[in-house]
Amino acid sequence: MRCAECKGKGLCGLERCPIMSRFYAQLPVRQSDRYQGSAPSVFVGSYGYPKVAGGPLMIDDADHPPDWVARGLAIDDIVGLRARTIRGAGEAKGLAGSIQEIALSSLPLDVEVRFTKPVSFDLRFDGTIAPVGLTGAIRKMDVLGNARVDRAVDRATSDTDLSATDACEVLTASGTDVYRITQLLTAGLLGSEKKRHVVPTRWAITAVDDTVSKQLKKKIARYPALSGIEVFSASLYGNHIVCVLVPGDWKFEMIEIWGRQSLWGGGSETIAVDGEGLTKSGYSPLAGAYYSARLAVAEYLESVRRSARVLVLRNVTGEYWAPLGTWVVREATRNAMRGAKTPCADLRQAIDLASRLIGFNHWQPHSRLIPELTTQKTLFDF
Amino acid sequence: MLKATIDAEIFRESIDAIAALVTECRLHTAEDQIRTRSVDTANVAMVSLELQSTAFNSFSATVGELGLDIAKLKNIIGMMGKGDALTLTLLDEERKLELSFGGYRYSISLLDVNTIRKDPNPPGIDLPGKAVVPGDALNNAIKAAAVISDKIALGIDPDAMTFYMEAEGDTDHIKLALGEDELVALNPVQARSLFSIDYLKDMGRVMARADEVEVYLGIDHPVRFVFDIADGNGRVEYLLAPRIEAD
Repeated sequence: MRCAECKGKGLCGLERCPIMSRFYAQLPVRQSDRYQGSAPSVFVGSYGYPKVAGGPLMIDDADHPPDWVARGLAIDDIVGLRARTIRGAGEAKGLAGSIQEIALSSLPLDVEVRFTKPVSFDLRFDGTIAPVGLTGAIRKMDVLGNARVDRAVDRATSDTDLSATDACEVLTASGTDVYRITQLLTAGLLGSEKKRHVVPTRWAITAVDDTVSKQLKKKIARYPALSGIEVFSASLYGNHIVCVLVPGDWKFEMIEIWGRQSLWGGGSETIAVDGEGLTKSGYSPLAGAYYSARLAVAEYLESVRRSARVLVLRNVTGEYWAPLGTWVVREATRNAMRGAKTPCADLRQAIDLASRLIGFNHWQPHSRLIPELTTQKTLFDF
Repeated sequence: MLKATIDAEIFRESIDAIAALVTECRLHTAEDQIRTRSVDTANVAMVSLELQSTAFNSFSATVGELGLDIAKLKNIIGMMGKGDALTLTLLDEERKLELSFGGYRYSISLLDVNTIRKDPNPPGIDLPGKAVVPGDALNNAIKAAAVISDKIALGIDPDAMTFYMEAEGDTDHIKLALGEDELVALNPVQARSLFSIDYLKDMGRVMARADEVEVYLGIDHPVRFVFDIADGNGRVEYLLAPRIEAD
C-alpha cells in the first residue's frame, strides 16, 4: 500500500501517519469554554463507529467550499480559516435534534454551546474532509433561531419511505448541490424510516459523490455520443486537472500523479490509476478523489446531454502542501469542465495536448483506456 | 399478441445470453418464434437469439415487437424456482408483459421500442476458420487468461491442427492449445485475432453451459460464437470485434 493510495487512513499500521503528523501544529487560542455564534454545518467523526461523536462546526463562515474558491482564498487562508473552526463533539445520538436542524438550514444558524472544558487546539487533516483546528466536548447546546429549509430538502427529509439513494436523485434534480446533500446524509436525515442513521461525514461525502454520479451515469448511457474529442484543463491549489473526452459509450479512467515534492509522493513520484465501465466493483484505490472527479465530469456530460469516454489526469505538485479534502478535486474538475474546451482532431493529438498541459508524458503507459481506445475495433469497421 | 408457456430454466438461459451484452432490447415475435438482435453501446459486440416455438410448452403469437428491460427481467427471474412453468402474456392495450409462475403474477411495463436502438445489420464478413469447442473449455480458458491480461488471442494453427488461445500480460504469458482429440471439429485455416477479455468474460459465462460452441475466426477479424440453447430449439450467436495493435 502506497501513501498516495492510503492518504492518512493509517493502513501502514503506524500509530500516527508520519505525513499527517507534520501538520500537528501549535496555535495560541483564547481559552474559552463557551461559544456563541454561527454554526454553518455539522461534522460527524468516523472514530468508534457505530458509536460516533458529532456536533456542529462553529465558525463565522458558510463552510461552503465553492465560496472559498469564488472568493479566491489561497490554501493558507483556508487552513487559517479552518484552524479557527471549532468542532463540537458529543454523542451523536444525544445531539441528533440540534445537529439535524443545523444540517437542514440553508443559512447558518446561531448556536450557544458550553464545553466541558476550554476548547483545545488539534488541527486535523484528512484526505476527504476539510481540516478543522479546534475541538471541544459539548456539555450543553442550544440552537438559537429557526432553520430555513428549502422546499425540496423539506420534502426529501420528511418522506420516511424514500430511500437515501432515491432522495439523492430527487434532491439533485431539484438543484440541491452535493454539499447540502452530504450534510443531510451525515445528520441522519435521509433514508427510509428504519434505516436512518447518523453517518460519519467523510463517508457521507464519498457516498453522495458516488450515488449522484452513478445516477447521472445511467442517464448519460442513453445519450448520443459527443461529436468530437475535447480537452479541458484547470488548476486549483497545486492540483492540475486535465480531462480528455472521447466520443463513445461511458467509460472513465483517472490517473493521479503525485509529484516528487508533493504530499503523498513520499520523495519519489507516484502514479495511481483506476477506471470503470458501466459498472464499478469495489472501492477505488484513489479514494474520494476518484468519485469527486467522476461527479464533476458526469455533471458536464449530463448538461450537454452527450456520452463520452473520459480520461481524467490529476497532477499534484508541492504547492498543495496541506490536504484540504476531496472538494478540491471536485471544484478543480468542475472549473475545468466550465472552462474553454480545446477540440482535437484525433486521439494522438489529444494525448499530446494533455501531456503538454501536465508537463510530461510518462503517465501514458499507466493508462489502460488509451490502448483500448486505439486498438478496439467496432463491428461496423468490417 | 403473445401468449406462451415455457420452462423457467430455458427462459433464464435466454435472458442471461442477452444480458451478457445489453440491458434492453427489441424482442420480435412471429407465428413460430421469438428473436432479438442487439449490439452493445460501444458497437463492439452483437448478440442474436432465436427461440423456436418448439422450445415452448405452448406458443401462440402474431408478428410484433416489444421493448424489454433486460436488467429488470433478470431480477424477476431470480424469483423463479427450478422446474417452474412460466407463462408470458402480452397485454396489448396496456403495453405490459405479464409473467406468471409458481403463484406469482408479475406485470412489467414494456419500454417504448422507439427509445431502443434499431436492430443492427450484421456486417457481411467471411470467417474461414472454424473450430467446435466444448463450452466449458472455452470459458475456462477465458477465465485463465483474465488473470494475467485484459486481452486474449484466439487462433487456429493449421500445421499443428490446433485451436489455440494465448494471452500476454506485462510479465506473464499463457497459452492453451486444443488438438483434434479435444475438439469436436476443426476447419484448419490459418487464423488469429485479438479480443478484449471484458467482453469475452460475460459471453464465456453463458457459453459454459453449451456442450458445443462453434467458433468462427479470421485474421484480425471479428469472432463469431454460435451455440444451441433449449435442447436445440433455440440458437444464440455472438459477434465480437477484435482489437488490432498497430506495430
